Amino acid sequence: MTYSFRTSTAVIALGLGMYAFAPAAYAQTVVDFTVAEYSAKTGPYFQEVATAFEAANPDIKINIEVVPWDTLLQRLTTDVAGGSAPDISIIGTRWLLDFASQGIAEPVDSYLTPEFKSTFIDTFMGPGIIDGKIMGLPVAASARAMMVNMDLYDKAGATPPTTWDELYEASKKIAALPDTFAFGLQGKEIETDAYFYYNLWTHGGDILNADGTSGLASDAAITSAKLYKQMIDEGLTQPSPTNYNREDVFNLFKQGKVGTIFTFPMLIPQIKEEAPNLKYKILPLPEAGAKATYGVTDTLMMFADSDAKEAAWKFIEFAYQDQYREKFDLGEGFLPVTKNVAALPHFTEDPDVAGFAAGLPYAKFAPVIANWEEIADVTVRTMQQIYLGEVTPEDGMKAAADAINKIRGL
Amino acid sequence: MANRIQKSVPMLMIVPSLLLAVLIIGYPILDLAWTSSQEVSRFGKLIGFIGWENFAEVFGDPLFWESLTRTGIWTLAVVAGTLLISMPVAMILNDDFYGRGLARVIVMLPWAISLTMTAVVWRWALNGRSGLLNATLMQAGIIDQPIEWLATAGTAFVVEILVGILVSIPFTTTILLGGLSSMPQDAYEAAVVDGATGWHQFRYITLPLMKPFINIAIVLNVIYVFNSLPIIWVMTEGGPANGTDILVTYLYKLAFRFGQLGKASAISLIMFGVLLIFTILYVALISRNDADDAAPEAEVDDEH
Repeated sequence: MTYSFRTSTAVIALGLGMYAFAPAAYAQTVVDFTVAEYSAKTGPYFQEVATAFEAANPDIKINIEVVPWDTLLQRLTTDVAGGSAPDISIIGTRWLLDFASQGIAEPVDSYLTPEFKSTFIDTFMGPGIIDGKIMGLPVAASARAMMVNMDLYDKAGATPPTTWDELYEASKKIAALPDTFAFGLQGKEIETDAYFYYNLWTHGGDILNADGTSGLASDAAITSAKLYKQMIDEGLTQPSPTNYNREDVFNLFKQGKVGTIFTFPMLIPQIKEEAPNLKYKILPLPEAGAKATYGVTDTLMMFADSDAKEAAWKFIEFAYQDQYREKFDLGEGFLPVTKNVAALPHFTEDPDVAGFAAGLPYAKFAPVIANWEEIADVTVRTMQQIYLGEVTPEDGMKAAADAINKIRGL
Repeated sequence: MANRIQKSVPMLMIVPSLLLAVLIIGYPILDLAWTSSQEVSRFGKLIGFIGWENFAEVFGDPLFWESLTRTGIWTLAVVAGTLLISMPVAMILNDDFYGRGLARVIVMLPWAISLTMTAVVWRWALNGRSGLLNATLMQAGIIDQPIEWLATAGTAFVVEILVGILVSIPFTTTILLGGLSSMPQDAYEAAVVDGATGWHQFRYITLPLMKPFINIAIVLNVIYVFNSLPIIWVMTEGGPANGTDILVTYLYKLAFRFGQLGKASAISLIMFGVLLIFTILYVALISRNDADDAAPEAEVDDEH
């Protein structure tokens, strides 16, 4: 309190001083921009864009705050509750409905010119549209795919699978190799549910049925849950998946101990740096009746309470120039959300990126529904109970569906 | 009259600090109580008065009851374990031996590291495949297959309790050591002359004289441990399948992941109530015991 008071007094004093010395000085509009930290490169990247923007627009100051993903939602919640929300922020698209339904997100339709709108790939605009209004712009996108360790497949005499049956057979061969796990199954913390959705979607199931009720009690859901459980029981996964979060599974893969994982494009730069000799291949997720992958987007959202919307939008348009988008997508390992960047050779010719981008036409997104985090948590808890053998897949999935329907008020 | 003024002087002197405490502790509690009676939006906006509905929802939630039970086990196990280990450690450190200063520093050292850091280190050490603990146990030939310590709620919770004990030892030892060093040596000398064994000295001299220090260690540890988030949060986030959730971790999820701030305020208030009741009961119990102990001595004094 005292500190910020002192600081603001100092700033005011400084400001007055500057007025005294430079009569031509003018009022600056400050745009507060909360940035989600994707990697160590995120902060410096946005700072660079902001500096370039400020040079071109001396009357606007961009105030960047980098917040780690783990605490971002908590941070924005307390900021909004305390009346000190930023002007713009990167958020997970899965949170957008909560922001929009509470009147915290500002619809951007009136700001978005047709030319600017046409630069985006339509698939990625979809998740940001709520009740016919565009509530935010896609800022980052990724799709998931299967990654296989070719050395292990060759050693086991297995061919990379295209269906779940083939994955199962190949896994049996790989699991027979010493000190090797066939399939890396995530069972802890963030996105444990996603690892199940890959399985669910490719079996023809879905998170929600057409009538909005939970799809976890469907035959497809029970079949896919049984399949994971069977693979655990037969020793085809690493032992005790409930002790492995996403990074743990990916680390096993980097160490060359796992034959198959489902992963995101951001893993590629990590493998190139940490395990350059690993021979891997990116393939579509295995199928069992349906083609699917998980598309994830993050959204750049403007706050309804902002008093610097014009300036903020000016910055947004500036930051979406091709040169900046290219640097961002390449640096972080994302799939491009704008057409011009998507047409660049790196994104069309690189087999790794192409492997991930191939799934986009049939990508599924997390449903834009209220209380999504809580629903995801029910799914995570249920999967853990099934993996641990505390409930049968049938009972577990039915109970989960009931719990989710209750949360949804259905 | 003058006597009355003299008696009220101490009361008047604590008024400023009392006011400060009321302001710092009381205001948030009132605010919390107010929030818990409201319907609250995902972002903390109060929508309207709903009375006891948040509490009804909490009491109807099986996860709340499971977390409450587990909080009891967690607090009891960590505090009891800490005291059982800290007492002998403090007694050893109180004895004069070569290198005592160094030994004291080593015991206190974990205190200087934040709980979160300790928990992160243990999370790594307990990793099934690359963890230090499994590697050590396997090299020593104690186990031949790595154990996934954090994979099931049973082992994970036990391990978390052990880590909880470990991090509580430095603080508790410090309190007990303070008590031991203020102990009168002549009582021990007299006891030795009377032929008391080591156990007798501990049972009839050390323990009774240490009572106030043990009591303060119990109260403070219960409050800290009951409210302690980092160890469980970092190691398992209350998982797998909510099997290691205690009230604080559950509260954190409700408030900051699911955005149910009304329900979360209700739980916070319940936690505050539980701790308040515990502290009042415990303090009452101690002062009654003290009064009982002191009574005969007072009579003796009167005869003089």
